[in-house]
Amino acid sequence: MVRTSLVANYAHGAAAAVRASFADRTNFILQSLSMVVNNGFMLVLWFMFFAGFRSVGGWKLADMALLIGIIMSIVGVAGIVFGGYRDMAASILSGEIDALLTQPRSVLARLLSRDSYPSAWGDLGTAIVILMAFAGLGWRDLPWLAAGWLSGLVVYIAAAVTFASLAFWISGARSLARDMTEFVILVSTYPGSIYSGASKLIAYTLLPAGFVVLTPVRLLRHPSLGTLAVVIAAAMIYAAIAAGVFHLGLKRYRRGATPVMGV
Amino acid sequence: MRYMPSLTIEATPYGFGGLRSALAAVRLGADGAMAGWPVLLGRAVFYLLLMIVLTALWDKVIAERLPGTLVAALPAGGLALYIGVTEWIGLSVPAIHLRLEDDIRSGAVETHLLRPKAYLVQRVAESLGAMLVRLAVTGAAALAMLAASGRAWPPLPALAALLVLGPLGATIGLLLFTIAGLSAFWVRRTVPAFLILQKLLFLLGGLFAPVTLYPAWLTRLAEASPFAAHMFWPASLTVDSTAAEMADALLAQLVWIALLCGLAALIWRAGLRKVLRGDL
Amino acid sequence: MSSAVITVQDLRKSYRYASRRGGLLGAIGGAFSPDYKLIDAVDGISFEIAAGERVAIIGPNGAGKSTTLKMLSGILEPTSGDARVFGLVPWRERKALAYRIGVVFGQRSQLWGELPARDSFALLASIYDQRGAAFEQRLKDLIERFELAPLMGQPVQRLSLGQRMRCEITASLLHAPSLLFLDEPTIGLDITAKAAIRDFITENAREEGQTVVLTSHDTRDIELVCERVIVINQGRIVVDQPTDQLRRRFLAHKLVTLHAPSRRVEIALPGVMRRASEPHLDVFEIDTRKVRVEQVIATALEGGGIEDITIEDPPMEEVVREIYAVAHD
Repeated sequence: MVRTSLVANYAHGAAAAVRASFADRTNFILQSLSMVVNNGFMLVLWFMFFAGFRSVGGWKLADMALLIGIIMSIVGVAGIVFGGYRDMAASILSGEIDALLTQPRSVLARLLSRDSYPSAWGDLGTAIVILMAFAGLGWRDLPWLAAGWLSGLVVYIAAAVTFASLAFWISGARSLARDMTEFVILVSTYPGSIYSGASKLIAYTLLPAGFVVLTPVRLLRHPSLGTLAVVIAAAMIYAAIAAGVFHLGLKRYRRGATPVMGV
Repeated sequence: MRYMPSLTIEATPYGFGGLRSALAAVRLGADGAMAGWPVLLGRAVFYLLLMIVLTALWDKVIAERLPGTLVAALPAGGLALYIGVTEWIGLSVPAIHLRLEDDIRSGAVETHLLRPKAYLVQRVAESLGAMLVRLAVTGAAALAMLAASGRAWPPLPALAALLVLGPLGATIGLLLFTIAGLSAFWVRRTVPAFLILQKLLFLLGGLFAPVTLYPAWLTRLAEASPFAAHMFWPASLTVDSTAAEMADALLAQLVWIALLCGLAALIWRAGLRKVLRGDL
Repeated sequence: MSSAVITVQDLRKSYRYASRRGGLLGAIGGAFSPDYKLIDAVDGISFEIAAGERVAIIGPNGAGKSTTLKMLSGILEPTSGDARVFGLVPWRERKALAYRIGVVFGQRSQLWGELPARDSFALLASIYDQRGAAFEQRLKDLIERFELAPLMGQPVQRLSLGQRMRCEITASLLHAPSLLFLDEPTIGLDITAKAAIRDFITENAREEGQTVVLTSHDTRDIELVCERVIVINQGRIVVDQPTDQLRRRFLAHKLVTLHAPSRRVEIALPGVMRRASEPHLDVFEIDTRKVRVEQVIATALEGGGIEDITIEDPPMEEVVREIYAVAHD
């Protein structure tokens, strides 16, 4: 028996989730298109804003477009390939992971790959257009973009997994986890220059918008090895925290201490 | 009028009995909202976070004072109070469109028709109750935040006027979402109507920025819309407010409430006719 | 213990519940100083299961059946005690054990509702590292044995509950486990579907020499699928004996309810006992060792005026109570 690698296995699971999201074609088209319209509208508002005020603490329209492009593409790819993150707390609270525990695989990977959202394609599509047309990027920026973007994706999913893992301890964690993840997106959709003091502290810790989008943007606008190191370290630290909290929680679950419905 | 048995139930004059049952529904909605206190608390936290981000944005814009930009058109005291009021109203409106969609899609609306009280009035009244509780809780959070921030308070008359114009503005929002919810009679899903409404609120309601900053034609369009009566008029009280302006805003709100109630009733009847024909 | 597949010794599991206080203040107070209640879900059980045995663990709701199954399949850690499955400690060697066992939860699906079962089977094959000609052949055999061919192309959510359960069981057999755990496999199914699932499990187990452990609160599941029954109640083993014996002593009863609006029904046959009598309704308990059900019905129908008849097994709670009473005599 040859063991399938984690990556191959994950790809298989995620592909099934994507196929399932395609199953209802009308719904798929409706959802992804309405997300495009939704995002397009937000972009128009920012155009109007910068037409009127030109700059926010040194951030120009192109910087804002870069930021929005990064966060939208992160949310898009996360929703397509790691869609299970969005309602992971519910999966934990309903005891759905019992079946996953009887399989010879990482429970976390199985949870992340079990869902995929049509609207996420709309996010990804808009994001690509925004990044290509308005963010003022050149070919030479691509390696930096790849590094920053990947790190942002890891931090974003890690934060969401950490919030969802609270469900192992708190029965009301479903809406809490969803709200916290929404907050990360909210903080990630405003110019980084506006944060200072306490709000900056929060943006670089509890709601890590700082590491999801702001350091990647800085990496692209002022490339330096120092920023690159920060970006990589942030991804590793947040991923480690998420993995640690999830596994502590899973241990607790397997002791039977998690408040699951209908034990 | 053609003979329509179920519609005659709807057409029964409600009198005091109808008012009493509507008031009971308001209470029910308020009690329900209070029972879900973690949700109320969560919304207050969301409000605070939103305020931190949005005030930081506008403060930064104002601090930069770029010549030749719209900064000159912004009020001297900044936009914190304006934003505070728009978000206070906006976050207090319950998602009645989802309730209506559920009832219409599941067919539950038909069982409600058997009761002697008007379904729509009862549902709106229930949401009104929840809305009042939300206004109180989020309002308290807003005042606490204002006190902590050390910003200048609005003049007392404006604050007093807000106690009336805020809830009325929220009521207009509730009616707008009610109309979005009634679209479920025709399109099953209210998401499209909701998204369109949300965009209109952002732009014409002044949630994005005071509508007076827009090009003149857009400003005029916004000011004449119910969306401005929902958020912009109450929020602009904090910026500059003469007694006459307050009276005008109040009048605009009352007119819109009357018009939207009428419109909701018309759409409801059309939807009901569809149910009675059996082609839902 | 040469041929024992499962060995369980003094296994215990207790849950700690924070009992909640009402209201906002209560909830805040509860977060700081919760009142805990201890519940012994499994309270010191021991047994062995040999290779090829088909064993039912039965008991009323909350008796500890599912908890036991979860500990044996590696999902839950016990509070104390020991268990070995294929010589492995399930909760410590979860992944190694996973390749050798199949698990079906009657109330949870491991299939994608939107996709045909075929797609879920392919994914599970990859999860269990199954591939190549041997696997293809196995899949073909299973599809044939369970008559799934006409269902394979349809999204699972369009299948009936019984068809879906057949696919669920097939999914758990793809990696050829030699031990199958089934948690309430017939829950919610109608009588025909239940019968099909029972045949399905029995036939497959016989053919492959598979060990089967199932939990249920439906007495019929046990009778038809299993040769041995372990009855648990309140976390303890009440009875552990061959199904034949148990059937002869405790599962030989039926409840017959007759609706006769116009009269009180009398049945004077040996082995028939009146359980309840209300206006329009009479309930009889029938000892099937002494009299056949059809005989009772025929006698009842003779008097006329009967509008409806229901025949049921006594509820599990009652059977367990009876066993309990006998065991403690």
